[in-house]
Parts: sequence; structure tokens; C-alpha cells
Amino acid sequence: MASSSSSGLTFKLHPLVIVNISDHYTRVKSQTNPPPLTSTSATVNGVEHQQQAPRVYGCVIGVQRGRTVEIFNNFELLYDPSTHSLDRPFLEKKQELYKKVFPHFYILGWYSTGSDAQESDMHIHKALMDINESPLYVLLNPTINPAQKDLPVTIYESELHVIDGIPQLIFVRSSYTIETVEAERISVDHVAHLKPSDGGSAATQLAAHLTGIHSAIKMLNSRIRVLHHYLVGMQKGDIPCENSLLRQVSSLLRRLPAIESEKFQDDFLMEYNDTLLITYLAMFTNCSSTMNELVDKFNTAYDRHSRRGGRTAFI
Amino acid sequence: MEGLVTQIQGLSGTASDVLSLQNLLKQADDSLHAESTRLPPFLDQLDPSKHSLGYLYFLEACTAGPVTQEQASSFVLTIARFISSCVAEQIRLAPDKFISVCKRFKDQVLLLEEPLRGVAPMLTAIRKLQLSSEHLTALHPEFLLLCLLSKCYKTALSILDEDIFEVDQPRDLFLYCYYGGMISIGQKQFRKALELLHNVVTAPMSTVNAIAVEAFKKYILVSLIHHGQFPTNLPKYASSGAQRNLKTLCQPYVELASSYSNGKIADLETYVEANKDKFESDNNLGLVKQAVSSMYKRNIQRLTQTYLTLSLQDIANRVQLNSPKEAEMHVLQMIKDGEIYATINQKDGMVRFLEDPEQYKTCEMIERIGSSIQRLMTVSKKLNVMDELMSCDPLYLAKAGRERQRFDFDDFDNVPPRYNI
Repeated sequence: MASSSSSGLTFKLHPLVIVNISDHYTRVKSQTNPPPLTSTSATVNGVEHQQQAPRVYGCVIGVQRGRTVEIFNNFELLYDPSTHSLDRPFLEKKQELYKKVFPHFYILGWYSTGSDAQESDMHIHKALMDINESPLYVLLNPTINPAQKDLPVTIYESELHVIDGIPQLIFVRSSYTIETVEAERISVDHVAHLKPSDGGSAATQLAAHLTGIHSAIKMLNSRIRVLHHYLVGMQKGDIPCENSLLRQVSSLLRRLPAIESEKFQDDFLMEYNDTLLITYLAMFTNCSSTMNELVDKFNTAYDRHSRRGGRTAFI
Repeated sequence: MEGLVTQIQGLSGTASDVLSLQNLLKQADDSLHAESTRLPPFLDQLDPSKHSLGYLYFLEACTAGPVTQEQASSFVLTIARFISSCVAEQIRLAPDKFISVCKRFKDQVLLLEEPLRGVAPMLTAIRKLQLSSEHLTALHPEFLLLCLLSKCYKTALSILDEDIFEVDQPRDLFLYCYYGGMISIGQKQFRKALELLHNVVTAPMSTVNAIAVEAFKKYILVSLIHHGQFPTNLPKYASSGAQRNLKTLCQPYVELASSYSNGKIADLETYVEANKDKFESDNNLGLVKQAVSSMYKRNIQRLTQTYLTLSLQDIANRVQLNSPKEAEMHVLQMIKDGEIYATINQKDGMVRFLEDPEQYKTCEMIERIGSSIQRLMTVSKKLNVMDELMSCDPLYLAKAGRERQRFDFDDFDNVPPRYNI
């Protein structure tokens, strides 16, 4: 597989698609019985039996306007392992239904999960070519890699390349951008802030809220620092002066601070004071309890007549 | 003697030399004391800023014996000069000698009846002897005594503002807090006075001592002036000896407090008149009078909790003042001191009581709370350290072990035994 496409199309992916694929995969995985094992744990008949994570398949739909392909939505499909193809009649029925609701959407391609595109995928890809001459293949990598910063989603196109004298269709990777509608932004935000089951108590909610604000401010701070560093370098003459960037920086600076009014100051200071008072109260309670214990210990150790005598009653 | 002088001059250079010098001086101490009359001329050969340790030993031996009035003034000068020019590290090697020199200095200054001369040198002496600003030395109470006698309270306030975390001798703490309380009363800083006197009364003491009794009397009076009430029980961190005995020893004051809480000024004044001599013998009559006058303030404050507006005439009647003019003066004073929030409408003589206008919206409030949080954090750290120390204290462990339950849950039989009645 080559690493970059030359078709010149720009791809825009909506987060709904990503969330849907992830949801599909998670559902299937948690419904399989027994749950998939790791590779070295079972040997059956002398053959190493490796249960892999299940692969899910589906179709992506969207709009193509000129050179821009926008992927809006997707739906699931059943994979038939015997014929190595997707369930065709079901696909056509779904296509009809979606056409009724979204008349502008066309089937743009299909999706699956896995770490890398495989040879068998080309089979499915070719099967879809009668619906769309150049279908897309959206691949989601479900393994969680904490070091990875980007989304584990790749979009592949098919191109005809000559390899060893034989023209073959191979997958080439394409770049894409994420495009959001307002409604999607709200739901993605909501999903991002989902906490485990005990997230209901007020303390964790407050902590989560403040943590979110803290990370947002930290990111803003680091970005501004980068800009500052860049401008200082430009001033010193290490970096060539670029007027367009300077204009952008200047317009950004004129937009900050975002709100400047007296009511905002009042409310902001009041909220700041409230948070400080809460911290103060918490510290006070902490300190008082330590002091109480200390006094009790001191009285036990040094005061002859302090205890009311006798043992504590047993249960 | 001359040999000793040359040794001092030679060995005052580096820290290790000074340590060996100290050993020499310790051995020579008795001979120094024996020849105390011959010593003054040798003092001139030594430089206090370089040979502080040696000078200290010589000075201590010089002043050991009884001192006449004429000698006193020259000694006062020498000691003052020494204190201002000596080196702190060298003196800290022989702290008790330094303390005894300073105490004799104080005695001589008092002998000359010029306590003011002793205030500044004593302050420098404290600063040089202290290991840190949280350390209470034996010189602190002497300093406060000099300030009290010379009536320069302001210098004392700078020392009183520092928080104390380490104490050398308990008696120092008692005296320090007692004098500090008196100075704060003199400066009308009743909150600080209350805090210091509270420290004396609740400090750990195995038997009740006289300082605590005197402090308790003042404590009752100051708490009446400042808070308008006196808590009848000492907090649980006061020693049990104090809790049981202090009240019986200060009976007239406790009765004064109970009649104060009834709220009737006339009763209070008759009681004060009846026990005037007792109060006077304790030098507390001025405080008692202040307590009586604070009764008016207390009653006016009580009015703010019941009424929104009140006329000046009504206030005068309820608080048993003589005229609306007096009431107006009292209310005005209280508004100025920040004790109540009110506005006086002069046209119809009505007073309107308001709420606390603090909105907690300002940057100053942020700074105040921020600094309070910082202070609280340091206190919390210190408390944790103390708590750990206390948990490892063998006395505590011995007694805590005794109170533990002897029996485990498993030792119990679920079926109760049959009793033969």
C-alpha cells in the first residue's frame, strides 16, 4: 500500500461516523461469548489458537461536491465469511431507506475495524465498485495506544498501480479533516466528559469541571507561549519576517480578552472568591481535625486526670 | 589572665577555633569568677565584635557579684555596646551566659530607674539570640517587662506580632504571654490580648501557677470587653488542673461575668462598687471600668438583631443611657470602629441598622483570603509534624495501649452462658 493518494480529493469526516463505528465495535465485542483472549493464552490441537478482536463492517454515506467528499453518516452491514462479501440485499434496502430521508446522500464507501488494511479487504472493495466507481475504505483501529496523539482512523482510496508488470488495485492512504456541525459538537463534548458510574456526586463533578477549565487554560497558555517565542525570534532577526503571520497574530490579539465588562468582572471575582472560600473552609476543617487529634493524644499522654477512667465498652 | 586574653584574641577567627576556645573558657570559668574584681581593664583589650565569646565570659564574670549604683551605669553602657556589636554565632555557643548577662543588664537598668535605656539593647539581644523568628527565648519576657515599665508599647508590638512555635522554658511562655496581654490591652488591641491571655490560661501546667491566676482574671475582663460574654468552661485542651481550680481562685471576677450577662447596667455597677477593693488590689480596676462601659455597646449590638430602625430616644431608653445625645455618640463611635453597620438620619433622629456590606467581589478580598490560606497551610504542616511526634511519644503509647479493647470479636461466644441465679 502506498502512503499518499494522488487523486487530489479532499475528505471531510464527521465525528458521527467515528462514534458510530466505535459504538458498533464495542457492542459486538462485549456481546461475543466468551470474550476475546490474548494471543498466547490458549493452544488447541497443537495449533496456537488466536482469538482476535472481531471485525465489524458497514457502509459510509455522504455527499461529493466537486473535489470535496464529505462523509456524514454510516450504517452497519453483516459480513458473510463464506462468500467474503457484504450482505448485498440488505445494503440495497438500507440504501433505499436512507435515500428517502436524505436524498442528497450517496454511498461513498465502506468501513471496517482493524490495525491495517488487508488483502481480503480488496475483495469487498471491488464488490462495491459497481455502486460507486471509487469507493472509500474507512478503517478504525480499536487498539488503544495511550502514546498516540492522532485519531486512529485512516481513509484509504483505491488506485491502479503497475506492480511487477501487472496493473493492480491497491489501497493508498488519504488525508482528511474533521468537520463538525453544531449539534455534533455538543454531543461529542458530552461523550468526552462521560465519567465512570460514580460520577454523580457533587465533589467529582466540581473537580471534573475545574479540571476541564484548567486543561483548557493550560493549552491556551502553551499556544500563546509558542506564538510569543516565535515573535521574539522574529524580532531578534533569527526568523525571516512573515507579514501574513503577523497579521494573523495581530487579529488574534485584538480578539482577546473575549469579554470585558463590569458585570463580567463582578461575577468573575465573586466566583473566584467563592472557590477560594471553599478551599479555605476545607483547609480549616482539615486543620481542626488534626488539632483535635493532637489535643486528644496530648491529654491522654500527659494529663493525669483527663480520662473518665475504665475501658471503653465493647460491642 | 593575660595568657587567656591572648588566647581569646588568637582563637576567635574560624568556627573550629572558636569551639576550642569555648572549651578553654569553660575550664577557666572558675578562675575568672574568682578574680572578678580585676577583670574590667582586660575588657578593653578585647574587641566585642571579633572576640564575642571571650568578651561574654569576661563580662559575665565581672557582673556576677553585687553591683553598686555607680558601677551600674558604667556596666549598663558596656553591656549595651557589647550587645549591639557582638557576633550572633559566637554567642549562641554559650546562650545561658548571654541570658544571665542580659538579665543582670535589666536589673541594673531597673536599679537606675531608666527602663527606657534597656529597651533597644534588649531588642537587639533577642534578635541575636533567637534561632528563628518563631523561637521564644528567655529574654522575651524581660524585654516585654522593660517595655511595660517604660511605657513604650509600640516597639513591643513588633515582637508580639510574630508567631511562636518553639519555646525553651514554659515559664518564659507564661510570662511572655501575660506581659504581652497587658501591652495589647494598653494598646487597646483586645483581640490580640485575648489570644495571648488565652494561651496562658490553657497552657499545659501540672499545677496551677500564680501567673495563670492573674492572667485568668484579666482574661475574663478582656473577653467581656471584646466579646460581650465569657465562656464558662475552658476548652478541653486546657489542663485539667486549670479547669478545676482557676474559677474558684478568681471568684469575684466570675461573678462579675455572670452579672454582666444579665444585661442590667445598674446591677453591674453596684456589684463593682461592692468589690472595688478586690479589683483595685489586683490593679484591674481600670479594666473593670472599661468592661462596664462596654456593656452599652453590647446592648446596642443586641438591638441590631431585633430591630431594623429605631429612634435615638428609644435606644437611649433601652440601653439605659441618659439622653439621645449620648446614644448618638455611642452609635457613631461604634459605626466608626466597624462594630455595627448603621446610618443615622439626623432629621428625625432615626437609626437604620444595615447588613454587612461586604460583597466578596473585590481583589483585596482575594488577596486576604489567599494569604490566609497560605498561613493555614504552614500551620497545617506544623500540626502534622507535631501529631506524628506525639504518636511516637512513649508516654502516649503506654497509655493508649491500655485503653484498647482487650477482647477480639472472635473471643465472644455467640450463645450467652447460662447464669445460675
